[in-house]
Amino acid sequence: MFESVEEVQQRFRDARYIANRRISTVIFLAARMGRPVLIEGPAGVGKTELAKTLSDVTGRALIRLQCYEGLDEGKALYEWQYAKQLLYTQLLRERIGELIADAPSLPEAVSRIAGQDDAFFSYRFLSPRPLLQAIRSEEPVVLLIDEIDKAEPEFEAFLLEVLSDFQVSIPELGTVKSRHIPLVVLTSNNARELSDGLKRRCLHLFIDFPVPADELEIIRLKVPEAPERLARAVVAAVQKIRTLELRKPPSVSESIDWARSLVILNAKELDPVLVESTLTMLVKYEKDIERVKGALDKVLAGTPA
Amino acid sequence: MEERILEFIGDLRRAELRISTAEALDALAASAEVGLTDRETFKATLASTLVKEARDEDTFNRIFNLYFLDLEALGEGLKKALGPEDPKVQDQLDRLANEENLDLDELTELLMRGQGSEMEMAIRSGSQNAGLERLMYFLQVGFFSRRISDQFDWSAIERDIERIMQALEARGLDPGQLARIRNYLELRLEAFRRMIRQHVQRELERRAYRAGERLTREVLADKPLFALTPDEVAQMKNVVAKLARRIKDALALRQRQEHKGRIDTRRTTRKSLSYGGVPMEIFLKRRHREKPKLITICDVSDSVRNASRFMLQLVWSLQECFSRVRSYVFVSEIAEVTQAFSLHPVERAIEWALKGAPVDYHCRSDFGFAFSRFANTELESLDRKTTILLLGDARNNYNDPQAWALRQIRERVKGIIWLNPEGQWGWGIGDSVMPLYAPACDIVRECRTIGQLGEVVDHLVYQWWRRGR
Repeated sequence: MFESVEEVQQRFRDARYIANRRISTVIFLAARMGRPVLIEGPAGVGKTELAKTLSDVTGRALIRLQCYEGLDEGKALYEWQYAKQLLYTQLLRERIGELIADAPSLPEAVSRIAGQDDAFFSYRFLSPRPLLQAIRSEEPVVLLIDEIDKAEPEFEAFLLEVLSDFQVSIPELGTVKSRHIPLVVLTSNNARELSDGLKRRCLHLFIDFPVPADELEIIRLKVPEAPERLARAVVAAVQKIRTLELRKPPSVSESIDWARSLVILNAKELDPVLVESTLTMLVKYEKDIERVKGALDKVLAGTPA
Repeated sequence: MEERILEFIGDLRRAELRISTAEALDALAASAEVGLTDRETFKATLASTLVKEARDEDTFNRIFNLYFLDLEALGEGLKKALGPEDPKVQDQLDRLANEENLDLDELTELLMRGQGSEMEMAIRSGSQNAGLERLMYFLQVGFFSRRISDQFDWSAIERDIERIMQALEARGLDPGQLARIRNYLELRLEAFRRMIRQHVQRELERRAYRAGERLTREVLADKPLFALTPDEVAQMKNVVAKLARRIKDALALRQRQEHKGRIDTRRTTRKSLSYGGVPMEIFLKRRHREKPKLITICDVSDSVRNASRFMLQLVWSLQECFSRVRSYVFVSEIAEVTQAFSLHPVERAIEWALKGAPVDYHCRSDFGFAFSRFANTELESLDRKTTILLLGDARNNYNDPQAWALRQIRERVKGIIWLNPEGQWGWGIGDSVMPLYAPACDIVRECRTIGQLGEVVDHLVYQWWRRGR
């Protein structure tokens, strides 16, 4: 898939994702070793985006499983559609009657119905959910398990089982084994500690806020219409705001949004009034906004005015 | 290299990173995939396979730098030592080595055209029999450097250099050029010697670091809190943060309770409609897990100052983890500090609580007065979900203990946990009124050391809050 770490970096870049050395190394290793990647980091640094880009770059379909509290196997793996099965049985009652009409004895009738098992226990009555989709897929895929920390620990244990051999057994149908090992990406916002087992199984990648040079690169890529001068000013300001000990420091996606809105407002450079009026794009809590406003001189100091 | 990685993993483990054998194997397999050419890549590889917690990253980085040299920086250093690059000389030497079979010593080959990394590897293999494990003090550096350099055959190198010079002379180089080449080789030889010394010094650093870490953990965990120096208090900060984190993690686990509880008739009936009225799927009512409320009351008088410092640190971290923590401090007057703790960073909050809170620091501690005040003003806000965590030595300076106040508080709450930074032998002796307060408490623990504080936290997490689920 990838020949070298440099190739990963280049191809991600071509797909408009700035992957630093660390990210590319981990992706390279994941592809080489067939290991899931567990990505942790603050919200909005591009964890989910990384999986999407990976699917773009490799040309594999992306299958996404969004985790939430109360997610269970039925919603993640497959669901057996009893209602549909029941309906079919009822509709076909006559046909079934015909089938066993001339059976000489009860055991004979039972074995005739048993002979038709395949008709009633087939994929027809199974609605596959993301995990089963990924396993059954004919083509290799990228499986994104988003915000795994939102699901319960029990689900994590179940997931561990699936991720370790990529096969599941469905009581009605038997064991399904995957043809290709999917590239698995798990993301976590660290709402709770994940189990050791899962961490051990995965390659661990911590994505932090990017360094200024990388962030500038990202802004240039994502908001190409922003003048260079503005882009630089935005990055400098955002980097300074992040040092202010806020409740929720602005993430990369927020700085992109901010840059976009500044472009729409036709700004060529940053000035205090403009920053103050667009600050809500960047900082989302009342207290944080107050704090940034208080330190506005510091934030804008040194930016090309 | 594998050995080096394994040794590195051993040190990470000693620094309290949990690394399983499977992960160690992963690290080896992964590093074989990427190779050693790029240090950043190599580092990322080890980090992704070995470090699974963001908070362990600093430790990893520190130990990584002790183990794996920045070869580029080393190369730079070497270049600097050699003075300006001399491609002409190098060229001459290369040609000589290619055209004539001089049968040189390995090390001479290295000197003639080796890279920094190769030299480093040579030193490392040379140091294998040098008994570096006995290296402990700075004064030994010279001795061990000599032992390592004894592993190399210096006379053979001298001889080789002479032979090289003769061979070059035979090729008809003029004396000026010859002098330049000799100078070049000697400089490299000198750089190599210096590298040996550096290697030993780094080894010493690594050892000191290792021993230091262990000492910090083992000794400090059992040292009485009152005997800790300010430096040691600062060192133990991480430990306390970890404790708070442990409480948080244990409580944040949202347990699914699908197989217990009463049937949710509404949902079950609704779902049964799609099966023709047959309740194929049973839904159970979820029981809501009560969120613990915590009130911490901390004695900040002089006698327990160090212990309070730890306690306040724990309180601060807890407050960050939970929304429903309220914190109080007292000497004899009692005051709520919740607000200040949520506003200030930990250092400032603690300093403030120990010096600037609205209580009189100059009087003698009076538990009875504090409890009766607390009972008078706060009793209404207490409920059965509240746990009270008390820290104090119960040395009441012969004031009225007013144990009734604590009993009254106990009646309103889930429980009271008393942590006493004084040894158990002292309870009830002199002005200690611990035996009078103890009956009103659910748990009374001696909490003299960090180790004991850890045990208390474990107890809280695994028994106390679990019980009330």
